[in-house]
Amino acid sequence: MWLLLPLRNLLRSRRRTALSAAVIALGTAVALVVLGFVDASRALIQETTVQQFGNLQLAAPELWDDEGELADRLLTQDTASQARSLTAEQPGVTGVTTQLSFSGLISQRRSSQAVQAVGVEPENPVLSYEQLVVKGRDLQPDDQGAVLLGRTLADELGVEVGGFVNLTATTVDGAFNVLPLEVVGIYTFPTAQVEARQIFLPLAAAQILLGVEAVDRLVVSLERLELTVPVAASLRGTLGADGLGLEIRTWDELSPFYAQLSGFFDILFGLLIMAVFVLVFFILLQVLTLAFSERIREVGTLRALGTKQGQVMQLFVGEAAWLGLLGGAAGVAAGGLLAVAFNAAAIPWQPPGSLEPVTLAVRIGWPSIAVPLVVSTMSTVLSAVFPAFQAGRVSVVDALRVN
Amino acid sequence: MNPTGFCYQRGKVVLEAKQVTKEYRLGQERVQALSSVDFAAGQGDFVVINGPSGSGKSTLLNLLSLIDRPTRGEVLLDGKPTSSLPEGRLADLRKTRIGLVFQSFNLVPVLSAWENAEYPLLLQRVPRSERRERLQAMLSAVGLQGLENRRPDELSGGQRQRVAIARALISEPMIILADEPTANLDSATGAQVMGLLRDLNEQHCVLFIVVTHDPAVTDYAERTINIRDGQLHAGDEHVATVTAS
Repeated sequence: MWLLLPLRNLLRSRRRTALSAAVIALGTAVALVVLGFVDASRALIQETTVQQFGNLQLAAPELWDDEGELADRLLTQDTASQARSLTAEQPGVTGVTTQLSFSGLISQRRSSQAVQAVGVEPENPVLSYEQLVVKGRDLQPDDQGAVLLGRTLADELGVEVGGFVNLTATTVDGAFNVLPLEVVGIYTFPTAQVEARQIFLPLAAAQILLGVEAVDRLVVSLERLELTVPVAASLRGTLGADGLGLEIRTWDELSPFYAQLSGFFDILFGLLIMAVFVLVFFILLQVLTLAFSERIREVGTLRALGTKQGQVMQLFVGEAAWLGLLGGAAGVAAGGLLAVAFNAAAIPWQPPGSLEPVTLAVRIGWPSIAVPLVVSTMSTVLSAVFPAFQAGRVSVVDALRVN
Repeated sequence: MNPTGFCYQRGKVVLEAKQVTKEYRLGQERVQALSSVDFAAGQGDFVVINGPSGSGKSTLLNLLSLIDRPTRGEVLLDGKPTSSLPEGRLADLRKTRIGLVFQSFNLVPVLSAWENAEYPLLLQRVPRSERRERLQAMLSAVGLQGLENRRPDELSGGQRQRVAIARALISEPMIILADEPTANLDSATGAQVMGLLRDLNEQHCVLFIVVTHDPAVTDYAERTINIRDGQLHAGDEHVATVTAS
């Protein structure tokens, strides 16, 4: 009865119930689509970030803290090899590679640019650049003096595949060194900063340029993104026990851009949810106050029969809960259809910091369904609390006198 | 207790009003609806309180049914004072000891005849199987077989009042208070309803207090009390001779 009576009362005034449910459904649908869009965009950025940094990176604390000389930040071959073995044994790890990153100056004839050079193991199992290469080819294991340039940087330098550039850097001893490199490929990347400033060369060439046989980090890829935190925690324990003195950074810690954008999305969605909550709350407060006041004589009857104030309140709040659930469910259905329509329309948009437009995507998962549904239902229920409380505490005699 | 055969022992005083006064505020004025009323009724009595509009009979009924509190004086239920009890306790007493029949039936429009009569049992958390048994017996006793699934707007006035009577009686209360139970019924249906109340009174020994301004209703009373200007005046004491089903 405590479920049935509120539901029957809800269906009593169908037009009013339909209008109220429509308000809730609209709020839920808008929130669902926006959350789905935010989720899809966040996933895209996560994918790009992991593509750039791997899931985890292991390095000396000095590297992360940007302290000490270059030599202090490097990992010897022994350390790197030991860490590599320990990491590869972790469940969920799909690959480990080493890198040597450094700042340098790339020049071609009269043009030069400051760059972030990354010495990589060609055809490593962690970070593949093959799909990113739009001209020429990816680095290969037998490459010596080869380099991959971003499309923007190549345009700035006026260099094409097959052309040569000079990369100048400071060796570990503090001397300048120059290495001529052949541009074997030009890549594109969703992030403008990467495409304009990051170059990739074989690890061996980077070590020759810096005069070292070391690397500065290990990059780790995992089976799934969700494994990042547990594997990082497990690795911290393993590496700590072995006294290798390495620190781990996860992909999101390595990308300030992701953290900023993710925070921006959170604020955006938080504001939207708050707007939906307030809108639904105040509209439903009006509607339910009117609906409850029209049934005040009925409240008097129920109270006269021995129904307690709290039980009357429970009936009205139950009615609002049904309304919230029905409206919310309708909103989820409408939002789902909208999401399908958006995805089918393949609308292009350019995310912040991106060079190429991507297709607008709305991803519908359990969180993007649950959050708007819970918020709209909660909002409806809360909007019923005050009128239900008022209805419950009305004088029985006065309520029975109402015609 | 058997669902249809419950019966209280006659005679014991179960409802009393002692020097009960009820005042209302009307703007700046205080209006006295009842003035130092004394009243007592025993288990199994069938009392009719008769009086014109504005005489205070509904006010007295509200006080006796514990939905209102006196300004002064005391209402005793089963010998226990009630005026200082908290609202929750009064609701419990209404739920378990008192049945109410209203002039306009006051059925919940979205519930069927069965569900309306079932409501007090749900409040008392009576198990499903027992509810079913008691409801079948009660609806049969008030002549509503076959109409259980009809909603109030699908029933005649007399049938609605029978549902209200079943709802009042289903929790096997000691007392049933009826406020103008025939006012919205034609005379033939009114006679049937009063006959039914009288039969149920005799069968279950429940105290019935009926408030009315319909002289025909007094024919069913064992005891009639007249009320005028907020004061009670003793009426006839007799054994009712009219019964109907």
